Formats: sequence, C-alpha cells, structure tokens
Amino acid sequence: MNWTPVFAGVTKSQGLSKDEKEREKGPKMLAPDNTPLPNEIINDIIARHPDKTGDVLSVLEEIQQAHPLKYLPRETLDYVACRMGVSRSQVLSVATFYSFFNLAPQGRHTVTVCRGTACHTRGSKQLLDALKASAGFHEDDEAGSATSFTTPDFGMTIRTVACFGQCALAPVAAIDHEIYGHVSDFKLKKLVSAIDKGTAS
Amino acid sequence: MRIHDLDGLHDIRRTGLMKLLPGKPRIGVGMGTCGMGNGAREVFQALERELERQGVDAQLTPVGCFGFCAAEPLVNVHIPGLPLAVLGEVKPDDAAAIVQAIALRQPPLEKAICKIEEWDHLTGHVMYGRGLPELPHWNEIPFFKGQKKIVLRNCGLINPEDIEEYIAVGGYHAFYQATQKPNVTEIIEEVKKSKLRGRGGAGYPTGVKWDLLSKTVADQKYIICNADEGDPGAYMNRNEIESDPHMLIEGMLIGAFATGASEGIVYLRAEYPLAVQRLKRAVAEAREFGLIGDNVLGTSFCFDIKLVEGAGAFVCGEETAMIESLEGRAGRPRPRPPFPAQKGLWGKPTNINNVETWCNVPVIVARGGAWFSEIGTAQSTGTKVFSLVGKIRNTGLVELPLGTPLKNVIYDIGQGSPGGKRVKALQSGGPSGGCIPADNFDVTIDYESLAQIGAIMGSGGMVVMDEDNCMVDVARYFVEFTHSESCGKCIPCRAGLDQALRILKKITGGQAEESDIQDLEELGQMIKEMSLCGLGQTAPNPVLTTLRYFRHEYEEHLRARRCRAGVCEDLFLSPCENSCPLHMRIPQFLELTKEGRIADAAEMIWLDNPLPGSTGRICQHPCESQCRRKTVDAPLNMREVHRFISDQVFGGPLLDEVRTRLAGRRMAATGKKIAIVGAGPSGLAAGFYLALLGHDVTIHEAREEAGGMLRYSLPQYRLPKDMLSKELEIIAGLGVTFRFGQKLGAGVSLDVLEAENDAVFLATGTWKAARAGITGEESPSVWHAIHFLEQVARGEPTQIGQKVVVIGGGNAAVDSARTALRLGCEVTIAYRRERQEMPAIAEEVTDAEAEGVRLQFLVAPQRVVTDKRGRVTGIELMRTKLGDYTLDGRRRPMSTSEKIVVPCDNIILAIGERPDAEPLRRFGIHVRENDTAAADWVTYETNRPRVFAGGDLVTGASNVSSTMATGKAAARAIDHILTGQDRLPALLGTFDVAQAVPPEPEGGARNVSEEMPAAQRRANFAEVMRGLTQAQAAAESGRCLRCDVRETCSAKE
Ligand code: FES
Repeated sequence: MNWTPVFAGVTKSQGLSKDEKEREKGPKMLAPDNTPLPNEIINDIIARHPDKTGDVLSVLEEIQQAHPLKYLPRETLDYVACRMGVSRSQVLSVATFYSFFNLAPQGRHTVTVCRGTACHTRGSKQLLDALKASAGFHEDDEAGSATSFTTPDFGMTIRTVACFGQCALAPVAAIDHEIYGHVSDFKLKKLVSAIDKGTAS
Repeated sequence: MRIHDLDGLHDIRRTGLMKLLPGKPRIGVGMGTCGMGNGAREVFQALERELERQGVDAQLTPVGCFGFCAAEPLVNVHIPGLPLAVLGEVKPDDAAAIVQAIALRQPPLEKAICKIEEWDHLTGHVMYGRGLPELPHWNEIPFFKGQKKIVLRNCGLINPEDIEEYIAVGGYHAFYQATQKPNVTEIIEEVKKSKLRGRGGAGYPTGVKWDLLSKTVADQKYIICNADEGDPGAYMNRNEIESDPHMLIEGMLIGAFATGASEGIVYLRAEYPLAVQRLKRAVAEAREFGLIGDNVLGTSFCFDIKLVEGAGAFVCGEETAMIESLEGRAGRPRPRPPFPAQKGLWGKPTNINNVETWCNVPVIVARGGAWFSEIGTAQSTGTKVFSLVGKIRNTGLVELPLGTPLKNVIYDIGQGSPGGKRVKALQSGGPSGGCIPADNFDVTIDYESLAQIGAIMGSGGMVVMDEDNCMVDVARYFVEFTHSESCGKCIPCRAGLDQALRILKKITGGQAEESDIQDLEELGQMIKEMSLCGLGQTAPNPVLTTLRYFRHEYEEHLRARRCRAGVCEDLFLSPCENSCPLHMRIPQFLELTKEGRIADAAEMIWLDNPLPGSTGRICQHPCESQCRRKTVDAPLNMREVHRFISDQVFGGPLLDEVRTRLAGRRMAATGKKIAIVGAGPSGLAAGFYLALLGHDVTIHEAREEAGGMLRYSLPQYRLPKDMLSKELEIIAGLGVTFRFGQKLGAGVSLDVLEAENDAVFLATGTWKAARAGITGEESPSVWHAIHFLEQVARGEPTQIGQKVVVIGGGNAAVDSARTALRLGCEVTIAYRRERQEMPAIAEEVTDAEAEGVRLQFLVAPQRVVTDKRGRVTGIELMRTKLGDYTLDGRRRPMSTSEKIVVPCDNIILAIGERPDAEPLRRFGIHVRENDTAAADWVTYETNRPRVFAGGDLVTGASNVSSTMATGKAAARAIDHILTGQDRLPALLGTFDVAQAVPPEPEGGARNVSEEMPAAQRRANFAEVMRGLTQAQAAAESGRCLRCDVRETCSAKE
C-alpha cells in the first residue's frame, strides 16, 4: 500500500480550527494530484458489482466516494478499466461525461449551490456569484462552463447541482451535504465563514 | 416472513393495520427530504423526548410527505376515535404542548391546519373517526382543494420504511389479483382501458408499450423505471419514492408479470440519497416477504429489481441514453428505430416507464381501467403530480385530475406570488417545456392543451415566475442548461445551442442588434427540427415560447437596453436604480449623503430628477420593493433621503450652488427650437433636459401656473406649493420659457407649433374624469376627484356638505378623502375590492385612517339617492364578494343581493381619468381606444415625425416619476434626432463615489421622518411629513448595501 490517508481520522474541528497557518500548510499536504486509491479497496468495490448492468457507473461512484479527496485519479481510471475488462477510453468517457465525477481533487469542504429552475427564479445565480467572488474566483463568463471551483489551498470546493429536489425551499445550498433552504447571501456567507473557522456543525 | 398466498397477505394486512390504528395515539412526522430540510428530524427527536419525559404512551413513527411543502414540517396526530389532525410548521419547541394534549386524549389544535376523517387509499380504506368540527377537512383548505390523490394516495400517511403498513392499506393486493388472472393480456387490456399515458413527459400510452413488449419473444426482457428526475424544479418522483416506495415496486411487479420481464432496473438520481436508501430498504423488505425474487407469491414468476444511481446527466432521461448509461457508457442517445421494445438494454426487449406511471398501475389493476379513465379528460386520463415552486406562496406537490385549469393551481391552490407581486408566467416541463404567460392561465392542464400553447406537461415541474423574473434570462438559463447537458453527438443540438446561447448572452448583456431576435427564432426552429433526440428537439422550447409571449421583453433589452425585472446585471446599476422610472443613481447619492457631500448629492439628484422636492414627498417609491436591505430588516427609505437633500437646497445657501452647477453643465446652444405643450411633470422634465442640452425650449400651458397635477391635484398637506414653485424657478432659470393660458386646440395650434419648431413634445395629461355609469351621477352634488381637488388647490370655495362618500381606491380617492376631512367633513371611502388591493400608496391609506377617514371595502356604487327636491341624501352601495380569480391574479368582485345606503351630502368619484383626445385626433395623431396617444415606447415619437408625446397622455393616469420618465426619455430622443448624437448620458456625467461594500449591514433600523400627529393635522393643510433630520438622513444612507458595487474577485486577500 503506497497511500496514506491524509485526513483520515482527523475530525473537522481538529483539522480546521488551527486557523490560518494550518490552512496555509494545506496545499502542500493535499496537493499530490495523483494519489490513487489502494487497489484492494478498488477490488473490493468491483467485486460488489458482479452484475454487469450499471456496473461501471456504480463502481466509479463508489470509488470516488471512497477517495478522501472525492475524485478519480487517472491511475484509478486505468486500473478500473483493466480490472473490469472494459476499454480505457470507455471508462474515461464515462468519467468525463457525467457531472458527478471529479477528475481533480476536491476541497475539504464542499459548498453546493443549486442552479435548478426554482432556485434560479429565487436568485441562486447571485448567491453563486457572491460566493465565488468572496472565495476569490473571477467572474469569467466565457469560461462559464466550469462547474466546480476549488480554492488553491483545497479548503473548499464550490460547485453547482442541477436540482436537489428541495425546490420548495429555494434557493437551496448544501455545505458538506447538509442542506440549507431559503438561503440569502448573508446567510450563506455566515455558513461558509463558519466552516472556514471550523465551527460548522 | 414469506407470503405464499392470499391468506398470508391478509395476515400481514392485519398486523399492518394494528400499526396504523394501534388503539392508542399515533404521531406521524413527515420525514421526506424537504421535511427534514425544514427540521423534521429535530421535531421527531423532540417528540420522542417529550413522550418519554411525560410518560405518554403513543406510537411515534416517521411517515412520508403529505405534499404541503410550504407548511413543513408536517406532523399528523391521531387519537383513537377522532379524525387525524394534520399539523403544520411544527417546531421542536411545540413538542411539549403536543404531547401534553395527546396525554389528555385531545388533538393538539394549535398548529392544526386540517383534519382527515377517513381516507380512501384506493386499494384500501381507513376510518380515523369523526369530530373536531373546528378544523376544516383536508380538502377544504386552499392548498388541497381540488386535489385528487391517486399517486400520492399513501404519501404522508404510512411509514415508508415498513412494508406492513403498505400492505395494511391494500398494498400488493393488486399484484396478487394480477397473478390470479388466467391470461396476462387481461392486465394489459386493463391498462389500455385506463388510457394511462407516460408521466415522464412524452405521454405515450402505457398499455400500448406494454403490449409491444409482451408480444416480443425473447429469452430475457427488461423493464426500467426512469427515476432520473432530471428536470430542475421537479421533485415529485423523489417524494413518491421516499414516501411510498412499495407502490413503485408493486407497479413494476405487475408490469413485469404482464410483459414477461424477469428483471427490473430503477435508474435513480444520485442526488436523492434518501430516496436511494428508502428504495433499497423497500426492495430488501419485498424480497424478505417473498414479493420479489424467485417464485413470487408461490407462483412460477421470478423477478428481481436492481437499483442504479445516475451520475448527473440530464440527457439520460432520454430512454436510449439511459440504456447506454446502464451499459456502462456515456449516456448518448441512439437513433430509433430500433425501439427499446425490440432492442433495448443489452440488445434485449426493454420497456421504460417513469416512476409515476408505474405508481398508477396498482390502482388501475385494483379499481379497473374504466374507473381510472373517468378521471381527467377523455384523452388525458387520471391525475398528475406537479411540483409547484418558484414565486408562489404555497409551494408543494399538487396532484390534480388532468384537465384542471391552470389558474386554479396558481391562484387558488398556490395563492399567487408571495409579497403580492404579479405572477407573470409559469414555466412548465423544465428545459424541454415552455413559458406560459399569465394571460393564458385559463388553459387546462392536459397533454394536448399544453402542447397547443407551446408548453409541455413534461415531468410536472411548475415553476412560477413573477415581475422580478426576466423572461430573456429564463430563456438564457435553460439554453445554458441544455447546452451544457447536450451530449454533443448531433450537430444541430451541439452547435445550434451554442450559437443560441451566444445570442442570448448578447441580448442579456445589452449588446444585441435587432436582427438577433430573428436569428434566434430561426435557429430555434432548426434545432427543433433537426436534432437527434428529445433533448435537442425540445431544447429551443423555452426560447421559442418566450419569444412568442414575451417578445416585448426581448425588445426592451434590445432597444432600450433595459431589463425591467432587474435580473440582467449588465443593464443596470442596482435594483433600486433599475426600478426607478427616472433611474436615479440611488446608491451613489446615498453614499454622497453619508459622506456629507451634500452639494454633490444634490447635483446628482437634480441631474437625474429635476423635481426632487416633489418626488421626495409623493413618489410611489417602487425602489423600496426591490431594495435588498429588506432581506436584512427593512428597505431603505430612499425617497425621504432625496427629499432631505432637496430641503437642504431650498433651505439655504446651497440653492445658489446647485443653480450654478446646473448652469455650468448646460451645453452649447444648438439653435434648435422645441415647443412643449403642458407644464406638468412630464413637460417640465422634458424642458429641463432639453434646455440643459442647449436647445431653446418653450413650454405652453393652458392653466395660469406650471406644475400640472402637482399643483392642481395634489393636496397642500402632501406637497406644499411654495416648494414646488422653487423647483420651477430652477427650471426657468436654465432658460426654459413658459407661456401660460395656452390651450392646445384653442390658444395654440399644433400645425403652427410644428412649423415654427424643430420638434414638439405633447404632454397634456389626463384631465377628463371617467364616468361611473350610475343613476344620479349628473347631480350637482356628485363631483369628480380631479375637479374637487383642483377647486381646493385654487383656494376656491367648494360648498361641500357634512358627509362625503368617496368612491375609489387610488391616490386620487385618498387625496380627496383627506382633503374633504380637512374641510370639516365626515368621510367614507368606498372601494369594491379589499384593502391590500388598493392602488393608493399604503402609507397614505394608513394616514387617512388615522385621521378619521372611514374605509368601507367590498362595495360597489349602485345609484345616487336623492330626496324629492333632487338633493343628494346618500349613495346606494351593493355589497360585493370576491369570486373567482381572473387572469390578472385578482379575485373578481361579484355582486351580492345585499344593498346598503350610506347617507351623505356629496359623492366624490375617484375612478380614473383619461386624456382629452379631441385636439390630437384633429391634428391626425394616432390615438388608442382609451384616448391615450400612440407613441413609440422608447422614443415617444408619434406618427407625426418630430412630434413626440409623453406623460399620462400616453400612459394613461400614472404617477409622478413615471410621467417624468417619459419626458426624460423623449428629451433624449429629441436631442438625438436633432443633433445626431445620444448626448444625455454625457450630460448626466459621472461622479467620483467611493466603491466599497459594507462587510456587514450597517446603520441599524430604518429611519422615517416625523409626522404631525393625526389629531393636529385634520384641521389644516399643513404638511404632514416633516422630513428626515440630518442625523437620520446620514444614518439612513449608511444602511445601503451598495448593490451598485459588484464584488468581482479576490475579496479574500
Ligand atoms: S431547483 Fe433548486 S432544489 Fe430544485
């Protein structure tokens, strides 16, 4: 096994409360782009999907979830292709086609802003823009195809979702999968600064 | 626990019923995702603790969602023998009281919104009990009225994680029945007879699809449930699976049995973790009970269900794309034929139906296809679940018989837009659907009717949009979505949507040309006709429907570079500026005021608005409704800050400074002559700007002084006339010449004006009173508001009696009432609708009431009552009640038979004014049906070149700032035509204003000016509002959140 889980066992408050300095160290600790998941774990996941219908998607979904940085390193994709007996191009095509899959490491925290229609009519674009701006991302419309933004220190990833199915609470945002309804930009800023400080739930 | 036969099923049913009606109180907490998002889990835990603490014996159980999302968390309480009480908006703090009530065997009524005495689960029936007359029945409250729950038959009433409760209400009985049919074709026939159509959007008959599959011979067949609910804004499938997963499993079982499929796959969105979890659990339970697996219910039928989580690709909702995805590839659609029924998953015959389609099946088998087909319309049978979201008060899941008129959903069930804004459109069917304008809300909801107006039913997402939503932005939003979701396989969709998005961005960015609209339209048609799959074929719908119904919004973006809704950020400074008809640079003058740069603030204000003393007092302040500060506490009091500045100017040495600065801005003389007819706010604004732009301006006015309605209609207590005169002096000081006593058609002739000037601007206003059409209206004691107000404004005696009734609900009505009151009368305002619908400024109504004006709502004038000598003694009013909603979202006042007579000496009619169109007609100017002048809505030019018209003459009676805005716009256009340059922006200039957003909202609570106490003000015409103090104005300015400063980047440093 060549991989040590960087943040395994580190609870949020421990990992984050040591404020700015700790965070500055973050990138160095987290940056290894190609940290693959140990093969044993991948093998286990593949073994759990003996039935061929839907297996590629499910396997990749589980592997991504198992990765502490919630992404699919290139090596992993190759390994999965070889192990499952499908072509590398097919696995890569799947991994790039579906918005669920990340090909780059994700931040320790994820803030997801819903860009569904109900949320859009209730101002989720402004929420997202304000959030991005406060995290230092330039508003660049031409490159507007990017759907996720990770801060350089891997502290936070901002992403969007097509709909949480929580439309009655629009606009909706989620912080590390905890859903918040009727979010205003003030409320979101507060929530985000709470995770910055490591005080979020 | 395996069930082998009917007896086995009955045994479980009995056990299940003991859980549903346990012989002791049962509390069900709605634990769908949306309930939990609103704190249902905390409520559940609190109830658990309280039951324990108070030692109360009751059964606490999670249930699904009952659909009324706006009232979440929902809790239902059943005390044996009594109806089930549904409680809304339950907080953990309510738990103690709820449990206390239950301990006393009383339902906790405080939070109860409705009751259920008995419930028809369609496959079974539950009697809860009768009583609780104080609570309405569930289907009597607006949200549920008219709903019919077939798919949602069990949702919110049973525990979704307990198969026994599902069986208790007749679950799996339909499946059992199906297995007993001698021939499976009977099942298919029943489904055909029901005329059930696919609920995923396309509406293909389910029975026909099944028939195809069952007739295909193959060693292996698949059925698939499409639960990849990809339409943003639609979440009914999530709720159906979360609240009642077994109905889906049973539907699939029946389908598999009827068509000979041995494997079922549910393709479910990964974004719905709770649905995944509940369905997994339900499948496991069903397997444990022998309902799926080998030899189901002791028959030879074998069937298994597998769950696959989709990974977020909208196109996978398309059936061939979904099959690709299930086979482990990117979800790109395949051309059809072959259809999945012939060659589907892994090349085997496959049938795909949507969640809701499957969920209808058990009911169809249980109750018969004929029963089902009687619900809905002839071609669209049954019900459909809609998610009603967006700008709507009652959000939630609504299940309706097909054929229900849309307006019932929006106004009766949904109760319109929150905050009283006007609903503008409904977006139905997600990115493949269209936008239905409010004028079309009488359409019925069924496949054909919706298709006819360019929308589709789709999966049932209904997103309501109001005035604050921009329809061009909506089109752009959807194209952005489909563009990024396009799989890229076919060119029309991939490249076409890209092009369409580019054009839409140009329009929303204010950079488009007139030809772009046409290009967009043609492009849309092309994509629609040439794309490979449903995604591309329907992707242009949002564009095409908005172009069809909201073309004026596109044109406004294009021609006026304006986004009225305040969404397209490139087109405005801030939401308040955008909503201000005069486009005052509000955040900037607030900043200047805050910094104490009063002279700069005054200069900027005057440049934006030449009558700030007047508007500062009487403007309708639309800015407040858009102010973002109201999400923190209350909107900014922008109106009174600019009044403060103008008061500062008129109260001291600043006046000279402002006059000097304005004069300094006057551009070099152009030598062009312009005649303006009418010295009301519109003509004055036009004159002001044209003079500053260097033209030679003369204003011709019929009356003996300038000001129009401001002088001759607005009462002194709201708008002191000496202040108005000072404002006029500034305008005159800039070189505008006034000629009084010049009436159009009498003293001045349009032909002469036209010949002697380079341009003419007509702004003669609306000085003709509308008639009420009631008997006795001609009596000399019945007056029209504008005449009465003018008489008082001129200081002429009125011979008003003791008691006065004012008819109407607008500002003129309130002004007349308060004026009459000051003349010593007893006054009643009679209005045919309710208070919140009065068009008058709300503060004015409150003030009137405080002064002692009586308000009578829901009455319509019938006739003037006179005595033998013809003297008015009263007015007969008919009581009205509010009936149906009309298409404008208001309820129609309907006559009742009840009449009342209100005794009075005078009646003042304030029911509207119109322009005097005669002189215009004579000069060949086009006049609309309502007597207003027809003019271009951007330039205000009439059909006669270089003759412009503006103000109320064009718009009909409006308000001061809107009417001034037309003058300002016309001035810009006139100048542009005469000089060949668009020079107004340069005239307005830019100011050096600090660009910093306050990190936290500052400045505390809203500041309002002191008012003279009501008791003092009733006796005289002294001004009521005293104006903000210096400290107040500074503090108020500091409250601004500076929406004009766009946070761009790197705020983190
Ligand atoms: S649109 Fe945002 S949750 Fe559905």
